[in-house]
Amino acid sequence: MTEPALAFHRRIDAALADARLRRALALTTGRLAGGRAAAFDALADAEACRHEARRARASAIASLDSHLDRFAREATARGCTVHWAETAADARQIISGIARERGIRLAVKSKSMATEEVELNEALEHAGVRVVETDLGEFVVQLGGDRPSHIITPIIHRSRQDVAALFQEKLGAAPADVADIPAMTALARRVLRAEFLQAGMGISGVNLAVAETGSICIVTNEGNGRLTTTLPRVHVALLGLERIVPTAADLAAVLTVLARSATGQASPVYTNVMTGPRRPGAAPGGQQAGDPDGPDELHIVILDNGRSRLLGTPLAEILYCVRCGACLNVCPVYRLIGGHAYGGVYPGPVGSVVMPGLHGAEDWSELAHASSLCGACRDVCPVKIDLPHLLLAVRRDAAARRLAPVWIRAAMPIYAAVATRPWLYRLAGRAAARLARALQHEGWIRRLPGPLAAWTASRDFPAPASRPFVAEHHARKAAAR
Amino acid sequence: MTSPRERILASIRGGLLRSHLPADGNGPPGRDAGSAAPALREMAEQFSAALAALAGHVHRASGAAGVADVIAGIARDQQAATCISWDDEHLGCPGLLDALSSRGLTRVAYAVSGDPERRLAEAAALAGVGLGVTGAHAALADTGGIVLVSGPGRGRLVSVLPPVHVAVVEERRLRPSLAALLREEPGLLDSGSNVVIVAGPSRTADIEMTLTHGVHGPKHVHVILTA
Repeated sequence: MTEPALAFHRRIDAALADARLRRALALTTGRLAGGRAAAFDALADAEACRHEARRARASAIASLDSHLDRFAREATARGCTVHWAETAADARQIISGIARERGIRLAVKSKSMATEEVELNEALEHAGVRVVETDLGEFVVQLGGDRPSHIITPIIHRSRQDVAALFQEKLGAAPADVADIPAMTALARRVLRAEFLQAGMGISGVNLAVAETGSICIVTNEGNGRLTTTLPRVHVALLGLERIVPTAADLAAVLTVLARSATGQASPVYTNVMTGPRRPGAAPGGQQAGDPDGPDELHIVILDNGRSRLLGTPLAEILYCVRCGACLNVCPVYRLIGGHAYGGVYPGPVGSVVMPGLHGAEDWSELAHASSLCGACRDVCPVKIDLPHLLLAVRRDAAARRLAPVWIRAAMPIYAAVATRPWLYRLAGRAAARLARALQHEGWIRRLPGPLAAWTASRDFPAPASRPFVAEHHARKAAAR
Repeated sequence: MTSPRERILASIRGGLLRSHLPADGNGPPGRDAGSAAPALREMAEQFSAALAALAGHVHRASGAAGVADVIAGIARDQQAATCISWDDEHLGCPGLLDALSSRGLTRVAYAVSGDPERRLAEAAALAGVGLGVTGAHAALADTGGIVLVSGPGRGRLVSVLPPVHVAVVEERRLRPSLAALLREEPGLLDSGSNVVIVAGPSRTADIEMTLTHGVHGPKHVHVILTA
């Protein structure tokens, strides 16, 4: 196995050994998946809504060049400053530059996977800007020097006691401030409100961008997204270049399914659409009043970082993704191992396609093997991405790059040769059955020989039936005739 | 030397030429133009039920005096002595601000400056305000959301900074859904620098999936439907 693959397996082992993590995962994913199911059941035409959301995303991606260019032009026309970042390093440099030129010392951030992807916080701290995460979960992650374990609810790996201890250690919280979850939430509100009121820059991601008006949309439940994009004088939004929808109607189509898929809510608490920075008064000198608040500068940083290249690969469909996290909550693998085990910014089925797609097959294709291809992810995807198909494409690509272990590369052609020749397949089947029967005891095989022993290390293997399926099938067909 | 913009767009075009995108899902919009909107009374009931399910409160009142009484009651319950608000002409209830001030609720006027230093002081001065009063451009029956469009006299902070948000919404502004609203007003998103849909009080479930209200935005959201 390659080193990244070995490391992945070590992380899986560690996650599986963590009993508390497994309980927390079962609780969280079960509740989110159940909420999602109920929210879609409540829709009169759930399938039509998913179809419509898929159409909105597909039409955007099919002409992504023109929609993205239109978006940039419309946003610029409304007073935004649009930047183009080809790489994560470019994005870091652009945003650090904006902060440095304006002498900004404190930035507040609303939750954004794209900023995690480009490792923005470290770059800004390096540029002398203190960065404060304001989503409650991300705030806890930041205080603990930790990483998010779910793209929607980042601290499912933390208990209330963990958070209480962290608040006491890092914030000097009194026991009464951490007595229960509402008290801890109130404490976070007080601490973060002070930061909001002092910050010179607000940094956000973008859930969806509307090409026809140059608008960006950010959905949050806490309201930190609104404060981040309203209080500071400068707002910087990092936009993954695929998050475009052509029209306002397309935005509505995606919003219909987004929160339902993420948390089971019919709507997020705040659906926040911004079109340009605050608008000044009509007459020069501010004779006629303009907007009383909002940022004076709105910078939109369009991030490629491998996305445009991905468009030309068999993984292109993953660019429809709107990062709702529904596929995590139903994935039998994610539900057991959680987000950290995947090792990257994006976990679960979507991460197993995005990580190798954006950050290289060499380091990340092993993730796609952590799937039974059961299809639960495809069934809940709000834009109906065929995730099992994409996971297979990652595996195919890894095989073509000879990334699989040597014994698999040797064994697979042999298997293919046998499986495509019925006579040879029957022969091999009979031989295997004879061997299996010799090893069985009361219908079960305790230990398989050679490399197969790994399979029986933690479970027994059922002994094959005395008559092979094919023989049984022929016999029944003959009897029916 | 090409610009990053040109290089990224060229890379996208190159990708699209080799694209393996599935052929489905790429037709024209399939949704119908929307069936006739339900009666106002029906939408009002649906809206009230949806907002109540989100822990929001719905009141009914009419006239500046009636609405002001409801707001003054909320302010008393929440021990709010001051408020920030939209200008009177945007509240859909003429004379409401005067009626509030005669009931002892002091309005703090604000406009946040573009100057960094003054801005911080101005924002800090709003930190202790107890109540925000807005109107609404529309209310959405299916989700219990209200649509707020920013502009002169219609500040964004009013609905997010204070711990209590009261929105005065004329019943005629009810629409079945966001999709229906945007069909009716395709240019809505461009009508202000900020269009926000607020569905109930601020909430989080980040710690142990336990629902808690008022984490950053208002803990209490009241909608007063007026005839």
